[in-house]
Amino acid sequence: MLTTTPYLTTRRPSPTTAEFTLTTCPPLTLPLRAALFGVLCLRFIAVLSVMIGIYSAFFHPSGLLPPPIFPSGRITLLDFDLNNFLLHMLHLLYVSSPGQSLAHLAVPLPPYAVLALSGITAYIALFARIHTTESLLVLRGLGIQMSSNVGGGYFRLGGGTYMKRTRFIPTEKIQDILINEAFKGFEVRYYLVIVVEGEEDVVVCFPRLLPRRKIVEKVWRGARGCLYEKDGPVMSAGAGGGSTHNGNWRGGNEKG
Amino acid sequence: MAPPTYRIAMVCDFFFPQPGGIESHIYQLSTKLIDRGHKVIIITHAYEGRTGVRYLTNGLKVYHVPFLVIYRSATFPTVFSFFPVFRNIVLRERIDIVHGHASLSSLCHEAILHARTMGLRTVFTDHSLFGFADAASILTNKLLKFALSDVDHVICVSHTCKENTVLRASLDPLMVSVIPNAVVAENFRPLGYPTSTPPSSMSSPVPGGLPSLTPPRRILGPHDPITIVVISRLFYNKGTDLLTAAIPRILAAHPNTRFIIAGSGPKSIDLEQMIEQNVLQDRVEMLGPIRHSEVRDVMVRGHIYLHPSLTEAFGTVIVEAASCGLYVVCTQVGGIPEVLPSHMTVFAKPEEDDLVAATGRAIAAIRRNEVPTELFHEQVKNMYSWTNVAERTERVYNGISGAISEAEFYGYHHHRSGTTGRGMRSGVTSFALIDRLKRYYGCGVWAGKLFCVCVIIDYLIFLFLELVFPREGIDICPDWPRKKQNINNGIVDNARGSREGGGLEWGDIEEYRRRSMRPSRLR
Repeated sequence: MLTTTPYLTTRRPSPTTAEFTLTTCPPLTLPLRAALFGVLCLRFIAVLSVMIGIYSAFFHPSGLLPPPIFPSGRITLLDFDLNNFLLHMLHLLYVSSPGQSLAHLAVPLPPYAVLALSGITAYIALFARIHTTESLLVLRGLGIQMSSNVGGGYFRLGGGTYMKRTRFIPTEKIQDILINEAFKGFEVRYYLVIVVEGEEDVVVCFPRLLPRRKIVEKVWRGARGCLYEKDGPVMSAGAGGGSTHNGNWRGGNEKG
Repeated sequence: MAPPTYRIAMVCDFFFPQPGGIESHIYQLSTKLIDRGHKVIIITHAYEGRTGVRYLTNGLKVYHVPFLVIYRSATFPTVFSFFPVFRNIVLRERIDIVHGHASLSSLCHEAILHARTMGLRTVFTDHSLFGFADAASILTNKLLKFALSDVDHVICVSHTCKENTVLRASLDPLMVSVIPNAVVAENFRPLGYPTSTPPSSMSSPVPGGLPSLTPPRRILGPHDPITIVVISRLFYNKGTDLLTAAIPRILAAHPNTRFIIAGSGPKSIDLEQMIEQNVLQDRVEMLGPIRHSEVRDVMVRGHIYLHPSLTEAFGTVIVEAASCGLYVVCTQVGGIPEVLPSHMTVFAKPEEDDLVAATGRAIAAIRRNEVPTELFHEQVKNMYSWTNVAERTERVYNGISGAISEAEFYGYHHHRSGTTGRGMRSGVTSFALIDRLKRYYGCGVWAGKLFCVCVIIDYLIFLFLELVFPREGIDICPDWPRKKQNINNGIVDNARGSREGGGLEWGDIEEYRRRSMRPSRLR
């Protein structure tokens, strides 16, 4: 429900620019936003429980309730200190009933197991990706920029962007863009590659999603059209991808 | 009606870049089948520096599947692990017929098993002869029996090979065809053969032009040296031991003779030792490994070709030698006696004394200038051509897929259904699992049951794969564009429906006329 099969969106702000975005994230509707918010809450809870687990296993291994740091249970401005405050909050969580039940689980386990478990949980909670988005920005005369999202994509919820890892290949380094076939696992897949001058290996576009042939061909036509064609890109090739963003396309160039 | 075209997958462990007879057989056959309008792909395992998908001339596509190699580039029998990749390739290329080559190639046997599970027609070509006695042969034969229990048709390269295969795999001789190898005669021209003639007349020489095509006769003077050429991989089965024993005796008996040996292998050490011991460095030249394209240049340096092989299903190399205008001395083993007419060859028993004597006879005949070697090339060219091989192979494809009737394919109406467990044949060989199991069950007391288990597992894997990798998820490969241009816009049309036939068809010509008429009418 949270993801779909990768689909292509094409954006053409100008005739010499094209961005091909491939994503597994479906269009943001209200139910999807709600679901994503739920996932975010789950992540938060997971991180909290990791903290409680470590706190209980390493600071209170006896399982006994410790005396509170602030006996009065109240923080005064006079003795406010951030560390103490956080510690106090953690302690409050720890003494709460879900915290206690978690502590009961954590205490009998050996310390390294707690560490490993919490490490894995924290990693998944913080860095697991729900959606994969990869894009290819083609700028005539400049080059091609490939980007793919990294991290958890927390801001996607609000319609924001992802944290990206990008790579730019300038035009003079691009020898060719082509579609190739290769063995991948138990399959033979089509993929789009850029042959870069001076590099031994070709650069694979959309390496994580490895879209199907139809999409690959569409991107290939569009990218070649944008990079090399004399009188602007071929519209029919590049923009059929169910795009809603290509309103900026100037049709005047079709006449050449 | 246009003849049916097929999408064929050639499966074999042995393919280029490795040199050899099977490799070039597969390549030549595939090329000619493509010329006849079929689509051909080749599936082999990965060689060093050759992994993935490659295209050869004319859109011949080669899949180098990454695998583990055990011995002489035969892969480890990974019975079921090949299935997912194979299924993917077959589906994306929309293969109709799987054609396996070489009985030592486990990849080919697996492919045939999987192909039958997937409901495809299968053909197997056997290129080699095997014994029956030693342990390795018994095991290989059992495996061959397994693989061939459920194959649609078998092709052998010679009649001896057919006998051998029929016995080894307990086949019905009717389902075994003999289609020999061939040579590309243009690549094996004798020295002094007129090459300046334009290629158009080369391919279809007019009858009157024939005499001018024969090269001038080489007259050998009484003191001219005679060169004997040996080109083979230096393995035991190629008779290198025999050669090692025979060379000193031949050279001692015939002054003014010399040897040129090309090829490499584990037995080359023995040859070098023999040269050292008998101090024959100036009379025996070892060239080491040579490329297939250089074979002709080596061959035309000699007068006699010596082929001491101990077992040989066909022996393409002796046809190549005869095509180069060499007198052939060969051992009378396997399919060799079928290959060349008697005036081109001197036969020897596969033993030292007889080989020496036969070579002596050949040298004497050459010295007397009584062998018309200059005519060999034309004769070989008329006997062997890959186009002919492709035509006959295509007939096999037609037969198994039911395009030509059973009676026409097998030459008579047979009434033996049920006796071999095979029942109905051509075009209707049942894909039902129970029928296939019946065929496998007859393989032996224990082996039969074991094979049945294998087939059932294979079938279960097939069902599993259908679930996990559904057919809709596999991209279809576009076929290689044919040389058939749509006249109005020049777009290459590669739709399946118009794939038949190479050139322009009648409909196209009509269309063309109509289009060229229109402007004039408007005017």
